[in-house]
Amino acid sequence: MNDQISPTKLGFGILWPTFWTGLPIKLALAVLFLAFGIMHFETRIALAFLMLLASPVTVFALPTITMGLDSHIGEGAGIALLFLLAIPIDIWALGVAGRTFFLERLRREPPDGLGLTLWWKCALIGAIFLPILWVAESATTDAAISVAHTIFETGFLAGIPVPERISIELTIWGTVATGVLLVLLVIGFSLVGRAIRGMVRSARHAAENYEGLITRWDLMRVPGDQGLMLAALSGVAVLLSLLFWASLPVFTPHPHDCCTKPEVKAEPAFKPLETLNKDEKLITQLAARVELLVEQRAEAELEKEKSKKNGEAGKEEVKAPEATEPAPPAAVKP
Amino acid sequence: MSHTPSAGTQPTVVEKVFDFVDERVGLKLLAAKMLNESVPGGSRWAYVFGSILLFIFIMQAVTGVLLMFYYVPTADHAYASTQYILHDVDYGWFLLSYHFWGSTAMVVCVFAHMSQVFLWGAYKKPRELIWLVGLLLFALVMGFGFTGYLLPWDQRAYWATTVGVEIMDKTPLIGDFLARLLKGGATPGQMTLSRFFVIHVMVLPAALIAFAGLHLFLFRCAGPGGPFRGTPVELKAKTDYFFPRQIWKDVVGMAVVFACICALAFWEPVVLLDEATPDPGDYHPEPEWYFLFLFQHLRLKMFSGEFGQFLGAIAFPSLLGALLVALPFIDRDSERNIFKRPIALTLWVMFMVSILIFTVSAIINREFLD
Repeated sequence: MNDQISPTKLGFGILWPTFWTGLPIKLALAVLFLAFGIMHFETRIALAFLMLLASPVTVFALPTITMGLDSHIGEGAGIALLFLLAIPIDIWALGVAGRTFFLERLRREPPDGLGLTLWWKCALIGAIFLPILWVAESATTDAAISVAHTIFETGFLAGIPVPERISIELTIWGTVATGVLLVLLVIGFSLVGRAIRGMVRSARHAAENYEGLITRWDLMRVPGDQGLMLAALSGVAVLLSLLFWASLPVFTPHPHDCCTKPEVKAEPAFKPLETLNKDEKLITQLAARVELLVEQRAEAELEKEKSKKNGEAGKEEVKAPEATEPAPPAAVKP
Repeated sequence: MSHTPSAGTQPTVVEKVFDFVDERVGLKLLAAKMLNESVPGGSRWAYVFGSILLFIFIMQAVTGVLLMFYYVPTADHAYASTQYILHDVDYGWFLLSYHFWGSTAMVVCVFAHMSQVFLWGAYKKPRELIWLVGLLLFALVMGFGFTGYLLPWDQRAYWATTVGVEIMDKTPLIGDFLARLLKGGATPGQMTLSRFFVIHVMVLPAALIAFAGLHLFLFRCAGPGGPFRGTPVELKAKTDYFFPRQIWKDVVGMAVVFACICALAFWEPVVLLDEATPDPGDYHPEPEWYFLFLFQHLRLKMFSGEFGQFLGAIAFPSLLGALLVALPFIDRDSERNIFKRPIALTLWVMFMVSILIFTVSAIINREFLD
């Protein structure tokens, strides 16, 4: 249909549907990793989403941007694992979107191994181009913000109220930053299109008419065994749901000051046999002590009676022996 | 999906039940009408927003009912019961966070759905009534956001509602009545909470179900508009039925939205501020993010003073609403291709850019308040 398609249209036409084709699977994994607590995003969740969406081109660019340019989208081993798992998903998505584009838009036979070839080309271009885009865009935005500030710091604009000033400044630097970003994105899509163009040229023209091509393209998306496909999908969905609920924290990860729970120390485990033995020992000891006390008291009484008989009663006060006083609590502890 | 038993085999229990119901309510005909509707130009991702909205509403209803098991709608206990949900109920924090982010997703999807209808020119004859009911549904969704925001009864909720009701008060003729009706007193209190709660959990859901049903009925009467470009041969070649292609796309769209809401609930779980008091203290009142553009708008000098506030808060939004209502009757051109409707495209871009600029400005403005 269109042999003279521009490289930008070619790159965009394949990458845009690819981004969205792989996203549902990647998102399911991302939610699972968030529930596991193996990755965290601070304020940059929108950037993280875009990076994940465009993973066919950001997969190798992200480490460069994170380590080389010291700008990270979040923390945790889950991020690296997620982008690693995104590779086979992206290869599959590029294959589906690429074959559709070749048949429907270009009316050419899609070559074998299209997904893998498209993936390494996109990933390579992304690895080189995206860090450049990142640096250029950051520098432009910083420069535009400082120029906008400078304009408003001049005397004749000093009286402008804060809300108006914020909106005008934002419009100025936002327009510049968006313009530069759009130009860079067009260049990026064009680079991908140029890398793919060779494959398009070498692909054979499809023999069928438009209706025939659409039917083929349509049937291509229908799985061979629909029952198996549905069963597999349902099984995966159930497994993911179970994993999700198993890993979901029961209480809020961010408790309010008003509701912080007091630290409860775990009580030692109750062992009935040991406790019974211990109590028996204690009772035996206490019984022996009581017996001793009774004996001592009886002896003292006897002594008292003897002294009375000897006619010394009332002259001398008989002091109770110290042993008859109750023992301190620590002493009775076994 | 044939449920008639093949010759020589006994019908299964499921087939018997299906036939029993079919005999009485015409299930086969209903299923055929619902599922076998042709989609001109084939299924598309752009058509998923309506189904996604229905899914989000169902999820909001489910999570809302679960939250109501624990929530106490009284000024004395609303805050404590919300904290109880967050801190003591098993998975309560996730339910509340899902409900909170679900409301945001609903607003975003309503915006996306309306934009798609506008850009596709799907409001034009014979779909004017669908557009009008859709606008009503949009207002109901905004109402859900506004009334639900008060229920946790923290400083954010209290002051956002105070500001919102004050803005409503500026409406000529009915403003004072509306404000008193909602507040039920001089300052927000028990009466306000009761009224907002009843509106949020009874009035609005009932209205939404009724109007969503009407919206779907009108949509089935007029049929899908189809893409705005493509030759008749291309459209005919790609046309297929609602089931299974469009349903599959809808299901995937719902799964994506569900995953996004879950991810947002993990990223930023609901954290309450201090309990509502009539003294804002250090807190700077501001509404929910989707009203921020209007709030920032009102901070501009041109909208200061009684008349300015009336212009910014009531006159301009009402004018915009009136324009949207009148849109299908003003724009009578049958051309649906957005690239051949430069005025419509320019207006849409300007509107979206201004919402973006004023929303971001409101966020930057916070630094100047602290």
